[in-house]
Amino acid sequence: MTISFKTLVASAVLSVALSAPAAWAEPSGTLRLGEQAKLITMDPHQHSGGGAGYLRPVYESLFDHDADNNLIPLLAESYEVDGTTIKVKLKEGIKFSDGAEFNAEVAAANLNRVIELGVQASMKLAEKAEATGPYEITISLKSPDPSIIDALSGTAGMMVSPNALKDPALDRNPVGTGPYVYSAADSREGELRVYLPSPDYRTPDDQGVARLELSEIPDATAMLNALKTGQIDIAIFLSSPQAAIVDRTSGIQLLRQPGGTTYHLGLMDREGTKVPAFADKRVRQAMAYAIDRAAFSKAVEFGLSVPAYQPYGDGLWPHDPALDGKYAYDLDKAKELMKEAGYEDGFEFDMPSIPVFASRLEAVAGFLKKINITMNIVTVEPGTLARRSMSTDFPATNLVWNTFLDPKYLTTYYVAKEALFNPYRVEPDPRLMELSEEGLAKVEYADRAPIYNEMFENVSDDSYIIFITTTPILFGVSDAMAENPTVKFRPGTDTPILRGLRVDN
Amino acid sequence: MTRLIGQRLLAMVPLLLIVSFLTFSLTALLPGDPADLILGDRATAEQYEMVHERLGLDQPFLVRYVQWLEGAVRGDLGTSFFNSVRVVDAVVQRMPATLSLTLASVLISVVVGLGAGVAAALRPRSWIDRLATFGATIGQAIPNFWFGLILVSVFAVALNWFPATGYVPFKDSPGQWLRSITLPALALGLSTSAAIARQVRSAMVGVLQQDYIRAARAQGLSALRVTFKHALKNALVPVITVLSFQVTVLLGGALIVEQVFAINGIGSLAIAAVRQQDIPMIQGIVLVLVLVVMLVQLVTDILYGLINPKARPS
Amino acid sequence: MTSASLPAQTTRKSRPAWMTPSTLAVVIPSVLVLAALVVCALFAQWLAPYDPLDQDLIASLQGPSAAHWLGTDDLGRDVLSRLIYGSRIAVIAAVEATSLAVLIGVPIGLFIGYRGGWWDRLTMRLVEAIVSIPGIMVAIVIIAILGTGLHRAMFALGILYSTAFLRLARSVVLTEREEVYAKSARVIGASPTRILVRHIFLNIAPPLIVQVTLTVGAVLLAEAGLSFIGIGVQPPQASWGTMLNTAASYMELNPFLAVPPGLAIVATVLAVNLLGDVLRDSIGRGIRVPAAPSTAPARVRTAPSRPLPPRADDMLRVEGLEVMVSPKGGAEVPVVTDMSFRIARGETLGLVGESGSGKTVTGLALMGLIGAGGRITGGRVTLDGTDLLGLSKAGLEKVRGNDVAMVFQDPTTSLNPAYTVGNQISEVLRVKQGLSRRAAWDRTVELIDRVGIPRATERAQAYPHELSGGMAQRIAIARALSCGPKLLIADEPTTALDVTVQQEILDLFRDLQDEFGMAMLFVTHDLAVAADVCDRIAVMYCGEIVETAPVDDLFANPRHPYTSGLLSAMPHGASGTPPLPVIPGSVPTPGHWPEGCRFAARCPHVTEACAAPVPLSGDARLIRCVRADELVLEAAQ
Repeated sequence: MTISFKTLVASAVLSVALSAPAAWAEPSGTLRLGEQAKLITMDPHQHSGGGAGYLRPVYESLFDHDADNNLIPLLAESYEVDGTTIKVKLKEGIKFSDGAEFNAEVAAANLNRVIELGVQASMKLAEKAEATGPYEITISLKSPDPSIIDALSGTAGMMVSPNALKDPALDRNPVGTGPYVYSAADSREGELRVYLPSPDYRTPDDQGVARLELSEIPDATAMLNALKTGQIDIAIFLSSPQAAIVDRTSGIQLLRQPGGTTYHLGLMDREGTKVPAFADKRVRQAMAYAIDRAAFSKAVEFGLSVPAYQPYGDGLWPHDPALDGKYAYDLDKAKELMKEAGYEDGFEFDMPSIPVFASRLEAVAGFLKKINITMNIVTVEPGTLARRSMSTDFPATNLVWNTFLDPKYLTTYYVAKEALFNPYRVEPDPRLMELSEEGLAKVEYADRAPIYNEMFENVSDDSYIIFITTTPILFGVSDAMAENPTVKFRPGTDTPILRGLRVDN
Repeated sequence: MTRLIGQRLLAMVPLLLIVSFLTFSLTALLPGDPADLILGDRATAEQYEMVHERLGLDQPFLVRYVQWLEGAVRGDLGTSFFNSVRVVDAVVQRMPATLSLTLASVLISVVVGLGAGVAAALRPRSWIDRLATFGATIGQAIPNFWFGLILVSVFAVALNWFPATGYVPFKDSPGQWLRSITLPALALGLSTSAAIARQVRSAMVGVLQQDYIRAARAQGLSALRVTFKHALKNALVPVITVLSFQVTVLLGGALIVEQVFAINGIGSLAIAAVRQQDIPMIQGIVLVLVLVVMLVQLVTDILYGLINPKARPS
Repeated sequence: MTSASLPAQTTRKSRPAWMTPSTLAVVIPSVLVLAALVVCALFAQWLAPYDPLDQDLIASLQGPSAAHWLGTDDLGRDVLSRLIYGSRIAVIAAVEATSLAVLIGVPIGLFIGYRGGWWDRLTMRLVEAIVSIPGIMVAIVIIAILGTGLHRAMFALGILYSTAFLRLARSVVLTEREEVYAKSARVIGASPTRILVRHIFLNIAPPLIVQVTLTVGAVLLAEAGLSFIGIGVQPPQASWGTMLNTAASYMELNPFLAVPPGLAIVATVLAVNLLGDVLRDSIGRGIRVPAAPSTAPARVRTAPSRPLPPRADDMLRVEGLEVMVSPKGGAEVPVVTDMSFRIARGETLGLVGESGSGKTVTGLALMGLIGAGGRITGGRVTLDGTDLLGLSKAGLEKVRGNDVAMVFQDPTTSLNPAYTVGNQISEVLRVKQGLSRRAAWDRTVELIDRVGIPRATERAQAYPHELSGGMAQRIAIARALSCGPKLLIADEPTTALDVTVQQEILDLFRDLQDEFGMAMLFVTHDLAVAADVCDRIAVMYCGEIVETAPVDDLFANPRHPYTSGLLSAMPHGASGTPPLPVIPGSVPTPGHWPEGCRFAARCPHVTEACAAPVPLSGDARLIRCVRADELVLEAAQ
């Protein structure tokens, strides 16, 4: 939940229909959101991990998704894909909140910055962007990538004012084209972010609330209490124990968003640089066998999740039925594998943790203990897990995979030598890279699925990503918010759609 | 009195210098290159150089210290390693929560401690005395954060009288502020109440045996008047010394109790800084905390002088 | 002006403080708790029913049951087992941090204490700086450098608490050093350094032990706190702090989770603290405490004296007064028995006796001010026709100050150090006489002037510590006289003063009595002083009057052997010869009085008849002696 995958969406269906305009009314009321993720930076191009919600009020991307998960143009007007060239037409007359004009030059500068910084994994295949007209840009790709438009609906496609791009403190002074502006004066670092309606926004009807407050509440219990006592209206992302309590508390409700997140371990040091045992495939497989996913789902996730052996659950197009039950809990087999590998007496390794993962990791540690593996849990600052996982600070990590994410990201995140979460720069199986390219060359799900299924099987066999459970994205909301028809979320993400959201009805 | 304050303020300077030097030495003590922390391990040589330049790591230690000190005097404690947040801003934003928690618990401890201590001292060896002494002994053995958890489960979860977590700034709503601060302040104030109660009791018992108390009674002044005017003022003298020390303890305790109640104060800032090894932030927090402690000591010194005429410079 | 100086009450040897029943009631459970802790820590493998990390996710968050006595946590791990293993962490934490603190603090403290100079100043400045940072913050900073985990966190706490040991060791060295060098200046042949080392090792142990218990308690709390906020012991390792951290997350689903680790911490810290208290009490105040009489007679038999014949000019009549006190932890014992005397208007009666004879208690009893440990068990006290003992609390309060006032022995302690002297007098005037603030102040200045203090207006603003002893006593006298009492009780009012000042104060008393005309009870151990101001003298011994007579008669013709003894012990004239120890033996303490004549054991004239209680007898002079009529005793020389 703290990584950026879920802010992106897989569907590439284009729709020109905008949501029906609401009757114009002055912004009124205060909407208070509780964010589980801590704000690390408000520079969208540097942003990784959770907490895109802090950026959404201020920044708009070139594209967006509506509540039905249709891709819609936002700052863009239309686009055209031709092999490795993407032409994007931009809307005219849009201004940043600081008065600067939005045009092709600005957009190209933004995209080139994204490409140069290299933080956004979704833009790995982009080479450069150029202004090919006053309101037209052309993006060149290194190789074809059907999901690049999706990427431009996330933080990678967020447009920053040209003046703000020069600000060294951009991480705390965001300036975008969005309906709200960030109020540093009302905000409290590490605690509360306040957004006020942007005075010259082009469609005032979309600015429904007079004051938008995002509280940073990394502590799950505190989040629940804040929701119960009405200090926040919407709790963005709930961990399972708290979700279970929300589900049975009157006055508040649990919202399950379509899609979900698949919790998994990544054994990044699979050549054994730091932990020699990880170099042995049998050890990695033994670890996969040692985890009782059914018990985990029931106890740790309070029955809200289902066991997982691959990124995607049953019913989603990339799902591979062949992998179901592949590493079903089998302690004897796990012990045998450990014995074969010569690690009967076990070994020790460090695993980074953030508070919301603490109980999951303790459970995993308990399972691994049974095959004599000691997993030391090292707590890192919430919001930094993704960043720490990109470094060689730890031999392994644990993250979640958003099921709305295109399967191509498996390569960019884990498989490729330059992948984000491959800090030890392990050379991938060449077959995987071939499959990766094949998958990008096809457009239809039916054509792509078998390719990715082979990829999953390959990775699963190598067992350096151990999938554990898939959990739906869970929100806690007050009854009033649950009944409010303007409260909508981007499917598969943890961000509400702010445009048009009102709290005065 | 102004002379006393002046002397005290002057005496603070060398202490602050030492503390600032100690905290600044942290960067030197930190194993490895701070740039590693900031950049992660995929940084280029230029990036390293940039960071080194930004942090002034290319300069000798003492030069950096003097520069940092100059900044500190101007109210600039530098910038976090990890974002462009100014340390002073972060600390100043978080301080009100921690300070109001500390202050509220000082109030609670003084009221509870004085009440229990005086009640116990008035009737030594009575059941009130035994109860108060026993309570004080237990109170000093209870971890404040555990007491906080117990308070939450009873008064917030079960009875729903107070919010379980969160902090509302006083300026937003005094009523809500009081509600949000009550349980944390009680939890934090417990052991200090106990310490003060013990101190008040022993001081009061001692004072009540003094000739001047007997003399005042012999003049026909009422027991009430003698206890609360003549005895208490004298008994407060050692209590103020204890209180001055206890405020430091409370300030430290606040850092932990804040976590129980998810109060965004200095505690969570410090813990986050520790987890990330955000050294400028830690330095700033320590320096500001020491400054607060010194101001508290100044105030207690003044109080001490007001209550104890012998302590006034003549 | 020293006179028959009398032996002080002796402190008797007794059991060490930690052996008394009330202390044992604290020590035994504390030791048991700590023993249980150590046993759990050492034998956790055998004691714990489960592996502390052995999870059973299906059986998570259960309450106590037969299988899991303290229930299970969020991962179905056995809470009892985790608690037992947690005690191991607690012991490791306490041992590691405390020994580190001692190992760092004591040597440095010894060194800087011995070396002194710059080393000392610099180190102490550093210590001061560290101490001014909240302790937890110091630990957090050290952890920021070292990283998290049990041993690192304990290293941090060790450094933190070493400052206390450093200061302790330093102060021991400084104290001993002063003493040793002072002595070695006189004793030749011993190396002062060697003596110093020996002295330090002898003297550092007791405070060190106390400090260790304090530190252990603090370490346990700090370890739990650091683990609770996630920078001490790291999960899944079971420590009480991490268990509470887990409990905090599941407060709503299973609040019981917070109970076992919390109670474990409280019990352990409580045990350590209580033991520390006991140790401090026994070390700090010396192992020996004054004895409470073990076999105290509940009551002393007395032969009631016959009532005093009433006189028309009596201001005060005291008849058959009896006072009992209960010493700490002992049975009630009599301190004043069969006390009868009277004072006429304008008359001064001297009440003379050794310390412990009950004369001060008598004075306080008249005012109803004996205190919590004592009570009046018999007799009558009549002041100007009013029965004082029959008065209500409020009635008595009204009489005090207005009708009876008292001047105490030590003026520096009988004036409240926290208020100006003027304030203390004017307060009485306002409260007792209902004067306005202004009027009370004017009258105060007048009174201060009257008792012979120059620049009265200015002096009224002074605090007691700014005045000399004689000056302060004048203030005390002014306060006592402020409401014009009918009776003034002066309890050794000159004893604490310089010899030169004593005479001035005595003169002041005489003058004031002439002016105000009140009756005066002058309590003193000094016959010469009594002779100077009194009209009549009552001699007390062991809680009773042995002889009452006009001053001249008493000096010329003492009728009681004790009176005679006192008179012979007086210094002769102005020669300044030291008092002669003419009365052999010592004064029996209350509770150890003989049944018959209380002076019998020291009396050279004792007979068999002295074994029975003796009443006061006589007319003009009252004497408590069976041989009063036959003895011819030595008079004052």
